[in-house]
Amino acid sequence: MTATPEIAGRVRDAAARGIRLRVRGRGHWMAANRPVRADDTLSVRECTGIVAYVPGDFVMTARAGTPLAEIAGAAGAEGQWLPLDPHGGDDGSIGATVATASGGPLAAAFGAPRDHLLGIEFVTGEGDVVRGGGRVVKNVAGFDLVRLSTGAWGTLGIITEVTFRLRARPAEEETLALVTDEDAPALERLCAGLRALSTMPMACELVNGALAATLELPPAPTLVIRIGGNRELMRAQRDALAALDAGALRPVDDAVWRRLRLAEPEGHAAWRLSHRPSDFAATWRAAGQSLAAAGGRWMHGSVLRGVVRCGAPAGNVDRLTRALALPFDGARVGETLPASIWKSLPPAASDRLSHGVRAKFDPRGILNPGILGETA
Amino acid sequence: MTGIRNAPSGTIDARLAARLAAIVGERRVLRRESELVAYRSDGLPSYHRRPACAVFPGTRDEVVAVVRVLADAAVPFVPRGAGTGLSGGALADGVVLLGLNRLTCILSIDGDNRLAVVEPGVVNVALSRAAAPYGLHYAPDPSSQAACTIGGNVAENAGGPHCLKYGVTTNHVVALTVVLPDGEVATLGRADAEAEGYDLVGAFVGSEGCFGVALDITVRLTPNPEAVRTLLADFTSLDAAARAVSAIVASGILPAALEMLDAPTIRIVESSIYAAGYPVDAAAVLLIELDGALAGLEEDVAAVDAMCRAEGARAVRIARDETERARLWQGRKKAFGAMGRLASHLVVQDAVVPRTQLPRVLAAIQAIAQKHRVTVCNVFHAGDGNVHPNVAYDAGDPDETARVHAAMREIMQACVAAGGTITGEHGVGLDKLPYMESIFSPSSLRAMCDLRDVFDPARRANPGKVVPVHSCREWQMAPAARGAAAGQAE
Repeated sequence: MTATPEIAGRVRDAAARGIRLRVRGRGHWMAANRPVRADDTLSVRECTGIVAYVPGDFVMTARAGTPLAEIAGAAGAEGQWLPLDPHGGDDGSIGATVATASGGPLAAAFGAPRDHLLGIEFVTGEGDVVRGGGRVVKNVAGFDLVRLSTGAWGTLGIITEVTFRLRARPAEEETLALVTDEDAPALERLCAGLRALSTMPMACELVNGALAATLELPPAPTLVIRIGGNRELMRAQRDALAALDAGALRPVDDAVWRRLRLAEPEGHAAWRLSHRPSDFAATWRAAGQSLAAAGGRWMHGSVLRGVVRCGAPAGNVDRLTRALALPFDGARVGETLPASIWKSLPPAASDRLSHGVRAKFDPRGILNPGILGETA
Repeated sequence: MTGIRNAPSGTIDARLAARLAAIVGERRVLRRESELVAYRSDGLPSYHRRPACAVFPGTRDEVVAVVRVLADAAVPFVPRGAGTGLSGGALADGVVLLGLNRLTCILSIDGDNRLAVVEPGVVNVALSRAAAPYGLHYAPDPSSQAACTIGGNVAENAGGPHCLKYGVTTNHVVALTVVLPDGEVATLGRADAEAEGYDLVGAFVGSEGCFGVALDITVRLTPNPEAVRTLLADFTSLDAAARAVSAIVASGILPAALEMLDAPTIRIVESSIYAAGYPVDAAAVLLIELDGALAGLEEDVAAVDAMCRAEGARAVRIARDETERARLWQGRKKAFGAMGRLASHLVVQDAVVPRTQLPRVLAAIQAIAQKHRVTVCNVFHAGDGNVHPNVAYDAGDPDETARVHAAMREIMQACVAAGGTITGEHGVGLDKLPYMESIFSPSSLRAMCDLRDVFDPARRANPGKVVPVHSCREWQMAPAARGAAAGQAE
């Protein structure tokens, strides 16, 4: 286990010598976001371990490099879980999940990393060790450094430890698949029905035909729905879904969720389109056009969150560039893209306040410089 | 002599008052002692600070104009909503108090996407009322929800009984338009799509008025549950009630709310106009609400009922209808109001402890109260471990006042020692300022100062709150200044 003071010492040393650092966890996110110009790598891979876990409190503290699988194992033994399922699977670290604010299908019901976090420890670009939040389920003492560092991609500090809330695993769970019509009116009707359900599914993900095949489902556009609860609630949820009258719901192996998280081939480009949940059908259509332009094959979207994720081979830069330039009213966020394409996209944090925050927490700009597209 | 004289300390000069009046109108700038009395404290009656003046803009443009005039004059200001806060956070000590309670427009409700855009002065419960036709409500529900404003809730990252299941304010705010203390208007986050970059919304929520003034706030609305069951469990020992809380939490059933009231609180509530029908001979009651889909709910209700009885509950009663439910809740939500009848002063703590530590911490609180001969009332969000020990006392009695404050300090120390924190929902304000160093290191406090400086480098917005001044960077870098100022301190 790498201790925080050791990491702080290395950062202080790098800051003094003007050495730019690439922050690395378990290596799953190295290709993601904008290219980083760094002189050296600082790994938190060995900064692992569950520091505190009292099951009765539903709160866990873990070092940043702890794999999600280790957290899932410890919590699972107590009938609990951290309902976060970022793409890339459970081999990734909790620190990277927080730094990249990565969620997955479960975010539809349980929220993003920011909603699970209670406390954080990080090392600033000057080597100061900073703690925000606490280890209890409610804490508002001081300004919110927890939310600030979540999704900052390591540019405000190297996350060394996080404290998060756990939940009870539902008594029963089931995954249902529904082959759907991608036609706009039919899809709109189905999505409106899903949004109006009295009990929201834990996840509700639409996958296109090519991706369905990868998930070992019939190769047709399919809505994959995850429900949970006690027996009676499960029955009510199945009935409510059937009442949408959208086709036959078929129970499928829960393994589709793991396959979905690991579906994308190594070296692929990935990007997301998002807009209001009520515009999901239009976002899905726009994503389809974007995918076709890029020569891509897979896409999937969270109906309840209004986010669609697309993937295509990274090799054809011209086609990808065209795909990302198609008109779209919502937000287009790059995930993994060839370096040259990032130049055509606006920076993630270009406003005065973001520059100010960066200048305070990493005044020398040595932490993952370039990753948010800043000019530093 | 003609012209403007230097204003005496604690007042503003006539020229500045005239500039403010030109924006908001004469009668919206209060300067007379008699007019300012109401603004000398917030919901916590132990602190009094006299504002130099109070100004009440009526529109968003007026707010921006006022902030710009204050920036131009380099005058500090304190934003204030309904003044129901419980940390002394919205008090202006000789500076301008900026009242936002006239900005009461609900700008839009998007039922389909479950979003509402509101002005900062919208009263919390008014938003839920307006969302009701869509089958939605605004989930964070501080006890003061009939009076407190969404802007104030954002500033304090307010909680409430139902935050146990639904999360606190920060989990419900998706975007903000704010005016920074220097007068610049900034948009934080976005409501219609995924936002990239730093979570500045997260940074702003809970900034206690130190980062600027929210002009509009986009919040997430929550579907009304299909069914609600409200239980009242009656215990003959405080410890048994605390053990029941720990058992319910550990079972994995997540109630919408799980509140505790102890014997002194029950007696005060029951002898007030807010009488809720709580058993007056009980050592403690738990008010437990379960909500969600109708299907499967009774199973959870039965399980909770059984857990309460297993820990020694004398009786568990389920509200028969909405009227009875409302009555049970009124007793809880108006408990602090009822205490106002006892004495002119009230201290309220807001510590949070790990839920498994509740029995131990409640016992420690009782022991501390006995040692200092004070009567502590406990009425709190037990399911969150968010304790609110409070004492009504006579501030005119110096001996009692000293004992109350000594007891409160020890209680806070016990909560921190149990692994807890110093505020769960009321904020730091003035009241918790002395405790900040007990939970945060100098470098963490310095980081908080740094964050404030991004939004307000001149530190004119709500000066002197949240982070002790001596924690800030330049203070630590200038030992001479530190020594000089320490000499001035009391």
